[in-house]
Amino acid sequence: MSGIARGRLAEERKVWRKDRPHGFVARPETVDGAVNLLRWECSIPGRKDTLWAGGFYPLTMEFSEDYPSKPPKCKFPQGFFHPNIYPSGTVCLSILNEDEGWRPSITVKQILMGIQDLLDSPNPASPAQSEAYMLFTNDRADYDRKVKEQSLRYPAL
Amino acid sequence: MAPEMSDVELAKSSKVLMVGAGGIGCELLKTLVLSGFEDIEMIDLDTIDVSNLNRQFLFRKRHVGMSKAKVARETVLKFRPDARIVAHHGNVKDSSFDVDFVRTFDVVLNGLDNLEARKHVNRLCLAAEVPLIESGTTGYLGQVTAHVRGRTACFECNPKPVPKSHPICTLRDTPDKPIHCVVYAADLLFPRLFSADPNAKSDLDEEDAVELSAFTRSPGESPESFAVRVYDYVFRTKIERLLAKEEMWADEKRKKPTPLPAFTELVPEGPTAAAHGTDGLNGDGNNSNNTMTSTACKALGLRDAHAAWTDADAARVFVSSFARIVARDESDGNHGTDKFDKDDALAVEFVAATAALRSANYGIERKSLFDAKGMAGNIVHAVATTNAIVGGLIVIEALKVLRQRKAGGDAGGVATPVPCAPCPYRYTFVKQHKSNSRLLEPMEPDPPNKSCVVCGAARVELVCDVESMTLGRLIDEVLKKKLGMNAPEVNAPETILYEQDDGLDDDEIEQYAKNCKSTLANLPAGGVRHNTALRVSDFTQKFEFDLIVTHRPGDEWDDEEDPDGYVLRGDSVSAESNENNAANGENNEENGAVAEDVDDCLIVDDEDEIKAATATAGTKRKRDDDDDDNDGGGRGDAKEIRIE
Repeated sequence: MSGIARGRLAEERKVWRKDRPHGFVARPETVDGAVNLLRWECSIPGRKDTLWAGGFYPLTMEFSEDYPSKPPKCKFPQGFFHPNIYPSGTVCLSILNEDEGWRPSITVKQILMGIQDLLDSPNPASPAQSEAYMLFTNDRADYDRKVKEQSLRYPAL
Repeated sequence: MAPEMSDVELAKSSKVLMVGAGGIGCELLKTLVLSGFEDIEMIDLDTIDVSNLNRQFLFRKRHVGMSKAKVARETVLKFRPDARIVAHHGNVKDSSFDVDFVRTFDVVLNGLDNLEARKHVNRLCLAAEVPLIESGTTGYLGQVTAHVRGRTACFECNPKPVPKSHPICTLRDTPDKPIHCVVYAADLLFPRLFSADPNAKSDLDEEDAVELSAFTRSPGESPESFAVRVYDYVFRTKIERLLAKEEMWADEKRKKPTPLPAFTELVPEGPTAAAHGTDGLNGDGNNSNNTMTSTACKALGLRDAHAAWTDADAARVFVSSFARIVARDESDGNHGTDKFDKDDALAVEFVAATAALRSANYGIERKSLFDAKGMAGNIVHAVATTNAIVGGLIVIEALKVLRQRKAGGDAGGVATPVPCAPCPYRYTFVKQHKSNSRLLEPMEPDPPNKSCVVCGAARVELVCDVESMTLGRLIDEVLKKKLGMNAPEVNAPETILYEQDDGLDDDEIEQYAKNCKSTLANLPAGGVRHNTALRVSDFTQKFEFDLIVTHRPGDEWDDEEDPDGYVLRGDSVSAESNENNAANGENNEENGAVAEDVDDCLIVDDEDEIKAATATAGTKRKRDDDDDDNDGGGRGDAKEIRIE
């Protein structure tokens, strides 16, 4: 029987379809015709007029049965270059943190927009990987070059 | 009216199901049989552990390793040989304990230790319309609550506090509470070091090859050298690197960590001596034939589990338990102790030592071995007396529920509102300190929460042959035609089977079309079978209910009785009189979804009839002639599904 998490996710899906921000993708994973509401495959476009523009960055959202009491875990591919993304790809963002900004009322759309925002505005107070953090704080030109390179690796599908 | 039964007579004539034969279960079973209950079934998947014996008094040392349910039964039969006790050594979530099974009991009594099983039993009881008495204890605190469908809140009407998880950034870089250090040790560092899969990615997130190798044992490296290397890396190098990220510490509210001294500075006798303590091993750390069986604390003479260690002692325990785990995994040949296990003494020592050292890094209060074990294993220390009180309270509530049920007051807790007398049930809380000179605090139960996702929705039962009924037919004939739905969405427990929406992607539309052609049994994610609960909703009608599927094979259908080949029934589908509805079959919009003229749909509106209908399923349906709205096979009445 479906619990609170699935009910809410089914609703999130409906709302998303009606109000999908341009360029974004978010959909539960489908395996052999079965829809897994607890795991969404998403794509976040880099905001235009930023270094991230042109890239469509794949992200998975993993929800637990405790959602929306607990936030989903959001992951880019392993090794994603960004000061606030762990080497495993896990996104470190206040609104995804139970102790900080997470509230059950935050929608899938708000999460994805929040992560889009984070791409071009990293938070140096909360570094999650050394490489991007070091370049961001010490060698901005090289950092910019790496970001641009990465954007080319994730073209529109 | 028959004279009121005594409690003992009531007990004698009732059949009860106990779920859980542990701390509460032992007390409960004893109190049940001594109160006169004779017909009891119980389920418990667990076997007896030494640590149970102090309070689960139906068990003795010789029973360790045996089924709790079976031993509890045998012990009780010794002093109550007449009791009919059936013991099931199994998981209550197994499909054999389904709604039909639960329906054979007068009341269900829970003595469980986890939320998942409690939710499951709650849902079974709601579906079977059997009252549930739910209970729990933590130390000196306890509570017993009664859940009667339609009368009181179900177990899930009010959200349960979700155990807190800790954000990975806090655990990894900025802990500020003892629990952060314990969770880091048990959930991040332990699996990273000892997991059987060396490539398993943990959230510890090594950033590069240098870091990856820090957690990997080099060829020929002795267990204690490996342990010392990890010590120096985790409690020194990593902290120094973190400090180098200056912007991270720009905020003065964030306290900077301090690297610990190198192991050889902190522990003068050196790693080999520290690892072995007084074990009297041969001292050759490279010899993997060393069997370091005893625990680090024993070897090091640290006897007081409640004392907080000094940094040096914590470092000794770290290296010693670490080396012992490595040696053990090696001699087991299984190369891995995947997950932290609170019953593994070495793992507990490792976690307590890691947590203590990390607390030293971050200037956090440090916990003893005993406390760290409790935190890492989520252990709640049980008090036998609380369990006994709670067992007694369960029996008191059970008797009240049974009395109502026998009197027909809460006919199985059916949704027919019972006007009436003040609610006899109570939630009772067992408190640690008395207030108003009471240790027990009774409370009026909460009413059902109308928006509860578990019990708030209407329930309809669909009897059909899942091997021949297609999803398309279910949607067109049952949902749209009979129940008047406009844009139904059908959800199975694990997947979405069908939805209508403008924004669907092409492949989704294709999949749903494919599903419509499929029989219920062949649908994705395991199919829809006997006792599958579907959640059906219509966004455009703000309307939602549970559709419980009951399988009846094709050869058991009588074409004359049920030409449709399916039957719809349910407590929330109320029949209205023939005359009233014959004329307005089409203009019932305000009632939400209303069925059109339905000739061959059997509608049952109270529990006795559901039983009667079930009992005669496949042969001939039966309607009571004194039913006030109609007779003759439920012909011609329009149905309304009540919605809130």
